[in-house]
Amino acid sequence: MSISTDLAATPEHNESRTLVRRILTNQQFVLFIVLVALVIFFGSRNALFFHVGEFSNLFTDFSGLVLISLAETYVITAGGIDLAVGSTAAVSGVVAAGWIQPLVSHHVNQGLVLLAGTLACALIGAVAGGFSALLITAFDLVPFVATLVTYSVGAGLALVISHGAPVGYNPGAIYWSASGFGMITWLVAIVLVVAVLLGLVLHLTAYGRYNFAIGSNEFAARAAGINVRRHLVSVYVLAGVLAGLTGMFFYIRSGSGAATTGVTNSANLVAIAAVVIGGASLIGGVGRWAGTMLGAAILTVVSDGLIFINVPPTWIQVVVGALIAVAALLQTFRRRSRRLT
Amino acid sequence: MTQAPERTPVLELRNINLHYGSIEALHDVSFTAYAGEVIGLVGDNGAGKSSLIKTISGVNVPDSGEIIVDGVPRHWRSPHDSMEAGIETLYQDSGLAPDLTIGANVFLGRETRRKGLLGRLGVIDQKSMEREALEQLVRVGITIPNTRRTVSELSGGQRQAVAIGRAIAWAKHVIILDEPTNHLGARQAAEVLKVIKSAREHGLCVLFISHTLPHVLEVTDRIIVLRLGQVARDAPTSEFTVESLLGTITGLNE
Amino acid sequence: MKSRPWRLMQGAALASTLMATSLIFVGGTASVAAASKTKYTIAFVVGAEADPFFQSMYVGAHAEAVKLHVNLIWQGDPVDYSPATQIPVVQQLLALKPNALIIAPTDTKALNPYIKSAVKSHIKVFNVDSGSSYQKNITSWVTGNNTQGGKAAADALASAMNYSSKCTSAQKCDVAIGVSSLTTSTDAARVAAFKAEVKAKYPNMTLLNDVVSQSQPSVAQSAFAQDISAHSLAGIFAVDGTDAEGATAAVKASGAAGAKIKIVGYDAYASNIASMVAGGLGSLSAIISQQPTLEGKLIIKYAVEALNHKKVPHLHTLPNITLTPKTPASILSKYQYVAS
Repeated sequence: MSISTDLAATPEHNESRTLVRRILTNQQFVLFIVLVALVIFFGSRNALFFHVGEFSNLFTDFSGLVLISLAETYVITAGGIDLAVGSTAAVSGVVAAGWIQPLVSHHVNQGLVLLAGTLACALIGAVAGGFSALLITAFDLVPFVATLVTYSVGAGLALVISHGAPVGYNPGAIYWSASGFGMITWLVAIVLVVAVLLGLVLHLTAYGRYNFAIGSNEFAARAAGINVRRHLVSVYVLAGVLAGLTGMFFYIRSGSGAATTGVTNSANLVAIAAVVIGGASLIGGVGRWAGTMLGAAILTVVSDGLIFINVPPTWIQVVVGALIAVAALLQTFRRRSRRLT
Repeated sequence: MTQAPERTPVLELRNINLHYGSIEALHDVSFTAYAGEVIGLVGDNGAGKSSLIKTISGVNVPDSGEIIVDGVPRHWRSPHDSMEAGIETLYQDSGLAPDLTIGANVFLGRETRRKGLLGRLGVIDQKSMEREALEQLVRVGITIPNTRRTVSELSGGQRQAVAIGRAIAWAKHVIILDEPTNHLGARQAAEVLKVIKSAREHGLCVLFISHTLPHVLEVTDRIIVLRLGQVARDAPTSEFTVESLLGTITGLNE
Repeated sequence: MKSRPWRLMQGAALASTLMATSLIFVGGTASVAAASKTKYTIAFVVGAEADPFFQSMYVGAHAEAVKLHVNLIWQGDPVDYSPATQIPVVQQLLALKPNALIIAPTDTKALNPYIKSAVKSHIKVFNVDSGSSYQKNITSWVTGNNTQGGKAAADALASAMNYSSKCTSAQKCDVAIGVSSLTTSTDAARVAAFKAEVKAKYPNMTLLNDVVSQSQPSVAQSAFAQDISAHSLAGIFAVDGTDAEGATAAVKASGAAGAKIKIVGYDAYASNIASMVAGGLGSLSAIISQQPTLEGKLIIKYAVEALNHKKVPHLHTLPNITLTPKTPASILSKYQYVAS
């Protein structure tokens, strides 16, 4: 049967390039180098950058970004988008803060208080994600529009509930957020564990593979027997839960729930930026956990580092914007050279 | 080829009706198919071929009528059900996910889990799937040096080969091929026809849809002509010529 | 009067205005001018409407509007303090042809063209809190004295930091400033006055680049954390409530490094006051409080007087109050910004 000869005769793009070249052009490797270079750069301007205290800051800020970036990774690789992770973080933080404040006032053990708050945030996040999923699957809205609706509702609710002022007062949480070992606080450690789990699921399980399949060709996935609707619902609920957890994260950091967290300055867009920098395609089907992690790390190091070395704040936005543009261009380049036709 | 009328049909459709909104896509479609038979399904654009295929494979749910596999009436709600019943489909619009590897595509929806606890958690055995995919494709005559390449890196003809290979590798009773010779050159098309004949020899029932009438006349035992969503004619291939077939398709024969 | 959420209030106000306008249409005879003689309609546009500062302003403005029988339309993007969201609101309200427009411009220049067109349509325009760069079109401007506020903040911070003994020319003290936005007149004036006072009286203070938080406490917190790590920070001037929240959290989280950092805040948010009263690591040493309720009340009063052709002051600055841990609780609760 000579259908075979055709496939064998195809120019073998990947195999013929040497190992070294493949490593050098691998996107994750390049991002890693960029990250290291950035750290060295900032440290060279002010050696205090290498101190444990600063690395602790970097890890903490990274943790605030990484869960919603991974949430967007799941949603985007499945061919969707979620514009509501920022608002979901805000509304969960604000609602949960109100619910657990009586526990704080009665001096309940901080660990229990934070656990209760985390569960509450996860629940609220799941509801928000489920709401987006409902709009998409039952009402046939495109994800952009559906999550925009969730965003408006969430952001509005957060404001109405909080009257614009921070909700709750729990300085004990702030002290806990700083506890840990060296540059890895307990808070950061927990977030990193969750992040790793998300990566394992995305790349090693059938669930993760279905995510890519649906984003790559939804019809093919459905024809292969995959329950696309159920999967999409679960992905948006997952994104909501991760956003809720991020809301709890910010509560712990500041000791109160703020309605504006992630809403005004579009933590949402930064999360999507991390995914784009990491090499994912906004159309879906392509993305890597390591890429998103590195993208989020780079964005964190850049925005924190520029403040660290005392760069005027207006420049920071310019730099971040330029980063995203470069990443997007590199990606287009890469995909053009890879396809045969 | 001969038919054995006493055998149970491996696939039977009775009075299938299907609407898309207000458009009637299929009206009162019925036919029987036996194992070891190659049935050609032809018709003009919009005649209902794709709709019929998608109804048999479970993508579309018919408004009324019955689908009977091996004598047992089935009511499937999704492609998953038809695949479980042993029906594999090669779709005209790509059934492959371009960003996934060849191996991943072959096992799409049927991933092998790892043994033990990890497997119960959903972890898939990527290595064994890649290896098996290679073997399965080789078994049906398609050799690929490396199943880890993504489908997007393949040309149209190669993708078609993978899709056909996947369908044949998994098929248990019926295999449906919707325009399988699209994107293929003459030599490769001839290979596909060979593959179809060998599938018949292995006892599969093949539903073969094609616009290329000479191909249909060459490999099929029986031809069903669809026109405007209805069965216009259902007869052994020997009763057709290219002209008469064309005439039945367009309705000029009536 | 903390009964209903502001949204219902605004909805009712808008509905009543629309109903009034449509009745006039149906009636056919009475002109808009005639209708307004019996009851003035005043449009009031702020930015970051949910900010307790503006909510306190609403309390004063609303009470005065009720007292003077004025139709008050209160609007503003709840979260975003920027011209991008404020301009569309202004445009919509101007289309309703109110008698007067009171605006707290989110940018000194960006709103000027709309103010100009309002004045052309015989709508009197007023400023509250922040001011427009082109004051000729503004009938009256009521604001807190930001210059005095910035100066007072510098003095309060120096005192809290123990400047005279701790900051020498050999060992200067690093101070960080945090604002929500650099383009609002209020923030800009406070920062400028702060910097001028530091330059004049406290030369051993080194000022770092401004931290811009864009109304997000978490952004302020991250930025201040960076400043704390990068420098031996001794003091923080948090120019508004958001930055005060971020500063206190950052200092608390930094543990030992934050032990000697003193913070002076602006705006008497409940959280700021609670922080100051609680004391300890990361608490506010002093709060420069404005009087937004009084600002709201006065600007409505001036607007009505101006509409009645009476003379009003072109600029009225209200003094700020410096609140410290030593201030009695009764005074603290008097100046605390309330939620409406």
